[in-house]
Amino acid sequence: MTDIASLSASAIREGLDSKQFSCVEVTKASLQKASSLAKLNCFIQMSEEAALQSAERVDGLIKAGKRAPLLGVPVGIKDVICTKGIRTTAGSKILASFIPPYDATVVRKLVTAGTVSIGKLNMDEFAMGSSNENSAFGPVGNPWNPEYVPGGSSGGSAAAVAAGICPITLGTDTGGSIRQPAAFCGIVGLKPTYGRVSRYGVIAYASSLDQVGAFARNVRDCALATQAICGVDPNDATSVSQPVPNFEESLGRSIKGLRVGIPKEYFIDGLAPEVKEATAKALKVLEGLGAIPVEITLPHTDLAVAVYYILAPAEASSNLARYDGIRYGHRAKGDLDLKSLYCRSRSEGFGREVQRRILVGTYVLSSGFYDAFYVKAQKVRSLIVKDFHDAFRDTCDVIVSPTTPTPPFKIGEKVSDPLTMYLNDLFTIPVNLAGLPGISVPCGFSEKGLPIGLQLIGKPWDEATLFQVASAYEGATSWHTKMPTLTASPQ
Amino acid sequence: MIDENDVEKLASLARLELDPSMKPVITGQLNSILEYVQCLNQVDTSSVVAMSHTHEATNVLREDEVCPVGSSPDPLPLGDSSIPKQGMLSSADLLTNAPDHSGTFVRVPLIVE
Repeated sequence: MTDIASLSASAIREGLDSKQFSCVEVTKASLQKASSLAKLNCFIQMSEEAALQSAERVDGLIKAGKRAPLLGVPVGIKDVICTKGIRTTAGSKILASFIPPYDATVVRKLVTAGTVSIGKLNMDEFAMGSSNENSAFGPVGNPWNPEYVPGGSSGGSAAAVAAGICPITLGTDTGGSIRQPAAFCGIVGLKPTYGRVSRYGVIAYASSLDQVGAFARNVRDCALATQAICGVDPNDATSVSQPVPNFEESLGRSIKGLRVGIPKEYFIDGLAPEVKEATAKALKVLEGLGAIPVEITLPHTDLAVAVYYILAPAEASSNLARYDGIRYGHRAKGDLDLKSLYCRSRSEGFGREVQRRILVGTYVLSSGFYDAFYVKAQKVRSLIVKDFHDAFRDTCDVIVSPTTPTPPFKIGEKVSDPLTMYLNDLFTIPVNLAGLPGISVPCGFSEKGLPIGLQLIGKPWDEATLFQVASAYEGATSWHTKMPTLTASPQ
Repeated sequence: MIDENDVEKLASLARLELDPSMKPVITGQLNSILEYVQCLNQVDTSSVVAMSHTHEATNVLREDEVCPVGSSPDPLPLGDSSIPKQGMLSSADLLTNAPDHSGTFVRVPLIVE
């Protein structure tokens, strides 16, 4: 029998419309696949009851002749996104029993689009990490080889899609947390332009960088999911009123004559040879499709990681001040005075990486160091933004680079050295600093059989061109059709 | 360079209580991060404007209206896709997540002696 859970969203839609299966059957297949692959640890919480309830509702609508691009498609939601009545932990012990009294806007949008959420996906605590090893609920295995990391922070979201548990998941991306795990798991992941998608109800990490986006196994599914969540929201003052084009119209369009910028600063010494080779081959494919390669320069690239590791911790230390054990979240036991209650609750609740970033953020914002670190980083951020602005104004329509400098690494390999871990986000961080849209598409495999991703970076609000190029590339290659061989654990 | 005393002070400012055995490790890690970010000093930024946001953010204004208490109705598949205005949550809704409460109040340690 066909494994319904591993079908694409479009194939599930066809099957539902032609009555090959019902939405309840699809939902059950997804839930079952998730539980048979429990060893990957993709989910922090399944929402079986709610999922089956909405699946029944959807079946009623389909019977009544209703149609919509995502009606009846199972999805998963990163556990940093609030779901009313369903526990939302942000991967942290401090929110281990937090049940949001409201839904994030993106969750409402996915529900009204007709999708069925099967559960909440594992992640690095408060989205801080590149390997999913910082989750209070344990690491996630890469479906291509469970000894390797799936990337992070949206590791569960990427692994669930790659493993064929559901065709679409939501993640968030602050420094690469959608594109890097998409690359490591061999799937498609798009971070929209900052302001494109509402952050209302998304637990904040670094508010000037955070953005919600979608994972899928092919470009079309990713475009449909992105379409469903975009748009201004009166509840998020940083969401922007900007027309949202129909992304489906970009799919299959020729890229002949499109100028593809290749930033020379992204082809550094530390770039793994297999990644370099896969990227070069991908560029040849794009050229074969009529795109014109242009060498460009983004001179401040090598400073982006340093800027990020000042600004993001600074914003995080401020955002995470709200977890004080008073109104919600973990509170330390015992007869404690107020300050001890704050300190004990936070230290018991936050994991190591989160505490480390809070300390860095506190340091760079403290009075003697504010100008030297925080303001300096804000200024260099301006220069990084200008690099992209100049490249897009003068020389190219889209920028192409590897998504990550190396293929996936082993669980435990980099945990002891935070700085090496941070450098893994070298190519994705500049895109967040500049607020640009970026997508990762599968472009090959390492010698060890682990996926490699190609990153496309677009002009502000120009997700359409990213989908156009990604879909043209996908049409000329077969990477997206490969799926990992997984053995279910005994029930 | 920062030392363990600096880290202790930072932790107190950030309302964290560090495990004593972790202090040397954290001090080392913070130093390597702070040393790494020094690379920003090679860039002359004397004529550059600091940026806090990528968009020209403007104040978003709205009428100051009283919102009814009660969370917005749950969304339905293919139902109303307009985003409901953020309603006021009832104190009962909010208190379900409070670690300790009494009546409609959150209970906290004694603050004023």
